[in-house]
Amino acid sequence: MDMTLDSKKDTLMDYIMKNCLWQFNSRAWDRELQNENIIKKATQLLCHESPEKSTPADRCYWAEAKQLVDEWQCFPWLSKMTATDTKCMMGKLKNDLDSQLITNSLNEELNDPNY
Amino acid sequence: MPYHEFECSKCIPERIKHAVDKTPAENLSDALPLGYLNTIPGTLSERGCAYCGAKHVIGTPMKDVIHLSHGPIGCTYDTWQTKRYISDNDNFQLKYTFASDMKEKHIVFGAEKVLKDNIIEAFKAFPHIKRMSIYQTCASALIGDDIKAVAQEVMEEMPDVDIFICNSPGFAGPSQSGGHHKINIAWVNDKVGQVEPKITSDYVINYVGEYNIQGDQEVMQDYFKRMGIQVLSTFTGNGSYDDLRAMHRAHLNVLECARSAEYICNELRKRYGIPRMDIDGCGFGPLASSLRKIGLFFGIEDRAEAIIEEETKRWKPELDWYAARLQGKKVCLWPGGSKLWHWAHVIHEEMGLEVVSVYTKFGHQGDMEKGISRCEAGALAIDDPNELEGLEAMYKLKPDLIITGKRPGEVAKKIRVPYLNAHAYHNGPYKGFEGWVRFARDIYNAVYSPIHKLAFVDISKDAISTDKNFVTRQMLSDKDIDPAVVNSKELHEYTGEFDSIKKLRNKEYPKFPQKGKLTAV
Ligand code: SF4
Repeated sequence: MDMTLDSKKDTLMDYIMKNCLWQFNSRAWDRELQNENIIKKATQLLCHESPEKSTPADRCYWAEAKQLVDEWQCFPWLSKMTATDTKCMMGKLKNDLDSQLITNSLNEELNDPNY
Repeated sequence: MPYHEFECSKCIPERIKHAVDKTPAENLSDALPLGYLNTIPGTLSERGCAYCGAKHVIGTPMKDVIHLSHGPIGCTYDTWQTKRYISDNDNFQLKYTFASDMKEKHIVFGAEKVLKDNIIEAFKAFPHIKRMSIYQTCASALIGDDIKAVAQEVMEEMPDVDIFICNSPGFAGPSQSGGHHKINIAWVNDKVGQVEPKITSDYVINYVGEYNIQGDQEVMQDYFKRMGIQVLSTFTGNGSYDDLRAMHRAHLNVLECARSAEYICNELRKRYGIPRMDIDGCGFGPLASSLRKIGLFFGIEDRAEAIIEEETKRWKPELDWYAARLQGKKVCLWPGGSKLWHWAHVIHEEMGLEVVSVYTKFGHQGDMEKGISRCEAGALAIDDPNELEGLEAMYKLKPDLIITGKRPGEVAKKIRVPYLNAHAYHNGPYKGFEGWVRFARDIYNAVYSPIHKLAFVDISKDAISTDKNFVTRQMLSDKDIDPAVVNSKELHEYTGEFDSIKKLRNKEYPKFPQKGKLTAV
């Protein structure tokens, strides 16, 4: 059976939750930055665009994104998707990350004003 | 994911929010154990104090430092040498511990004078050591001794010494984690930026949240040096005091234990613009990903790849020998903090172990998010369990092994559950490719040791056969596995040396000429 866009997105979400650490920084604002930047750069890489990496921060986000996309070669269906579908799926993926780890998170430390 | 109620804790209703059963259909926004809260009265917790977290976890691994506790001698003595954070300077920080030995009269009349005498005496006793950390304890905090002023006086009288003050008395937080936070912030506030380092590479990192347990730091440093990366400082295992004053000059903070040391990375990111990259140094797959990420950041991924290829070729057949024999064995993964998420997925994927429970003593909810995400459905996740809950979980889950600290480890032994030391290790290091095989070897030895069978024999009533009791680990482990695996010529047991660290000291590394400033860093 063909995978739907949502099931593809869920597969990638499971992969990130199991294997990555960048999405778990300890404050909400920090998680927003991580999700935003790393997913944006991963999307650009999947769509053969060139992500910005001229500042140390951008380069760090890019290294995380590039490693992730390289590991995702284990999902052969990913390279067959159109850029439009990829962007749509990655947008949903970011929403899921934000929802589970920020907006609906039960982690009471996320909004602590100090680190 | 439903919250989990322990029978033994029905009388402490607050405890229900501290344990969760992981289910396949739900996620972290459905249930998450509470964490980093004061221990509930009536529950006998196994945590350490905030002084202990600051001194014994983070401060003391610094190797060229006199570590002096300002307080009663018990604070420092009772936890001395419980961690094996070795160093390449003959383990000075492990061999000696110092305390100002406060007594009742000091509580009444003050202990600043005795502290000053102690500082001077310690420096005179060890004239080659010019750096000191002083740790406040409950007693010295409550009487209000001004440790900083005393240290300043000594530094004026002895201009070649430098002293760091850590004000993290035992009561300054719910657990040792409060102390981790305090010493991170104190170090970045008081010491970082004071020393300008000699930069010898285009690629410069601080390796943070790594405590050189049985040599972990030295294993990882070996990989970094083989990649031509300068490890400016390690916070703090095998770390040098003055190197850590120069942390502000790194291009990247490579963070291992985020639980104990994310604070300093976050501050260095905010104050000096140094990015934070979280890594896993354990397990072939996660370690390879981590080296690749660091390689990518600096544009030297080919160097990472060469190490991964060489190390995997050398050690994978040995890992697989153990993995073939550990399939399906049930494990309670009960370390203190970060190892629950560093290990939860990879001992399943690479050794075939079933993680039936994860717990943390001092972790925060963020650690539980990581741990629950990484373990398989069905696992029981517990925050700050008490001893009765630990026992109840073990009776119910019937693990083949628990991986934990020595206090709960001894409890497990009493009910005949093998235990492996997650904090100080049994025969580490466990980081690195070879280290991961050593970990698998220790797990195998623990699970299959014939002693556990013998321990179940009650010599007061069971009949003891004298002709059938000879067994070895391999007789036990190999009886149910595929003969093709047993007879494999490729897979074999660990063949490394007893001391895997010695060969790394004084090792020569390739010279990579400096090209100048990286454009991006
Ligand atoms: S709680 Fe206080 S008195 Fe007890 S070991 Fe910790 S610092 Fe010392």
